[in-house]
Amino acid sequence: MRITDRRFATLLMLPAAAFLGVFVVWPLGQFVADSFFDITPIGGERRFIGFGNYIAAFQSADFANAAWRTLAYTAIVVVLEFTIGFAVALLFAALGDRSRIFRTIFLYPLMIAPVVAGLLWRFLLIDNFGILNQLLAQVGILKTANQIAWLSDPNIALFSVALPDVWLTTSFITLVLFAGLQNVPGDVIEAARMDGARFPTLVFRIVIPLLRPVIAVAVILRGIDAARAFDVILIQTNGGPQGSTETLSLLIYRTLVRFGDPGLASAMGTLYLIGLMVVAVIAVTAIWRPGSTR
Amino acid sequence: MNGLLASGRVSRGLLWTVLMLVVVLYGFPFLYLLSTSFKPPIETIAVPPSVFGSTFTLGNYVAALTKDGVVPSLVNSVVTAVISTLLSLGLALPAAYAITRFRTRFGRAFILIALVTRMVPAIVVGAPLIPLFRNLGINDTSFALAIAHTTISLPLSIWLMASFFEAVPEELEEAAKIDGAGRIGAFWRVVLPVVSGGIAVTAIFAFLASWNEFLFALLLTAVRAQTTPIAIANFQTQFGLDWGGMTALAAIYSVPVILLTIFLQRHIVAGLTLGAVKG
Repeated sequence: MRITDRRFATLLMLPAAAFLGVFVVWPLGQFVADSFFDITPIGGERRFIGFGNYIAAFQSADFANAAWRTLAYTAIVVVLEFTIGFAVALLFAALGDRSRIFRTIFLYPLMIAPVVAGLLWRFLLIDNFGILNQLLAQVGILKTANQIAWLSDPNIALFSVALPDVWLTTSFITLVLFAGLQNVPGDVIEAARMDGARFPTLVFRIVIPLLRPVIAVAVILRGIDAARAFDVILIQTNGGPQGSTETLSLLIYRTLVRFGDPGLASAMGTLYLIGLMVVAVIAVTAIWRPGSTR
Repeated sequence: MNGLLASGRVSRGLLWTVLMLVVVLYGFPFLYLLSTSFKPPIETIAVPPSVFGSTFTLGNYVAALTKDGVVPSLVNSVVTAVISTLLSLGLALPAAYAITRFRTRFGRAFILIALVTRMVPAIVVGAPLIPLFRNLGINDTSFALAIAHTTISLPLSIWLMASFFEAVPEELEEAAKIDGAGRIGAFWRVVLPVVSGGIAVTAIFAFLASWNEFLFALLLTAVRAQTTPIAIANFQTQFGLDWGGMTALAAIYSVPVILLTIFLQRHIVAGLTLGAVKG
């Protein structure tokens, strides 16, 4: 029996589509549906309350604060990773092939579990016996080893919990930008240098504009991952001190598991998801255009 | 690109010095984890802390591996990651092939939807999966957790494999078909062997996605199917944290994948940069 190419293609895609349908789309629908119900955690009794949970979410100071923290956390991660990642990519590009072994070393945190990275950095930054402050004091940057309370000072804790995330995935930005730099034509740089362009001009006027699509993809991917960060933060501070590191994923988890309010957690999660989706869909259609240009 | 930074005023020596500094700063956290794992337990929380312990001991490793549930968790991690990798490849290979070869409207929509599902926060999918797996009678099993992990790795695998299939010349299949192979035969015997490198890269990413995952494991396993990331987090108790045992288990869990990175560096770099740079 001869089936058409179109049927054959659909047949090949069907198992994957069915899998995503059953284990992603259906649970997603379930989750969104839950947001319109008041649900008791133990018996699971459901009472339809319309947009009640959404109203509760919008009225909740916790939700608004967590949303801002998620934005701030994402901004911290993306800005630090891009700055460091781009600088290191330029360094690797300038040093050429002999830097290969160091590129490998630089890659290794990407393979480490976020939960390990979170615990490790908590250990590095912890009050009293954290090694980072000790080393900073020894080289004279800090006066005493207790000067900075990285994870227990609510004013800086959100910054501190982002450090392991930066450590884990700056390599990704470096890799992607390094690969992009390989495609920047050397004669363009040469020509600009001949015209007397200096290093900052070369970077900001020529390299960054040429790499714009690559930078955009790398930054969007990392931004979305950072906005969803969960284990790194949970394991370091569990949202504390005084809620100063409670981002949306942690708040939703806490509302669901600790407070046992699946309805409210679903409403918060749905709003969070809509926010992410809007950004993601704009980014994907504007930059990637998968399948259309190839 | 070599000329970019190497202008007259910036010497090569300075660049190498900066690079060394970056590499040392980047490598230090993990080296400190290793050195802590070999310290006597009491020295792990000594004030002031020191980089190296006074003596070298394997005590933390013995303590970690004899702790209740740790060895089963390592077995669970391997089993879950292997099932999830196979599931991910088994579903992604035909789908990615169809998307790149036949370019139907459904295919274009599908890869877009697959990409968007990558953006869904784990908590949103994880919460409804709890009752779903319970109803299917597979709650707290490695298989159920592998299914959950595949929701993360499948979209990534489809995207990666689509890029690899893209690079296979269509003439190759045409030739196979002229030689009498059917569509399935051409795919199985001609196309798949050509993309075997790409399959390896995709398998590594699918494996790592499951190996390092935490939230699904936290939500969907209790005792039987618990994986090592949860066991590592469990070194934290209400009485404080056993840093010696935790660092030892973290080292046991991380060193194999770090070695893997070093051996397969070129493939991993190819996989990581493929989508981003092409686009």
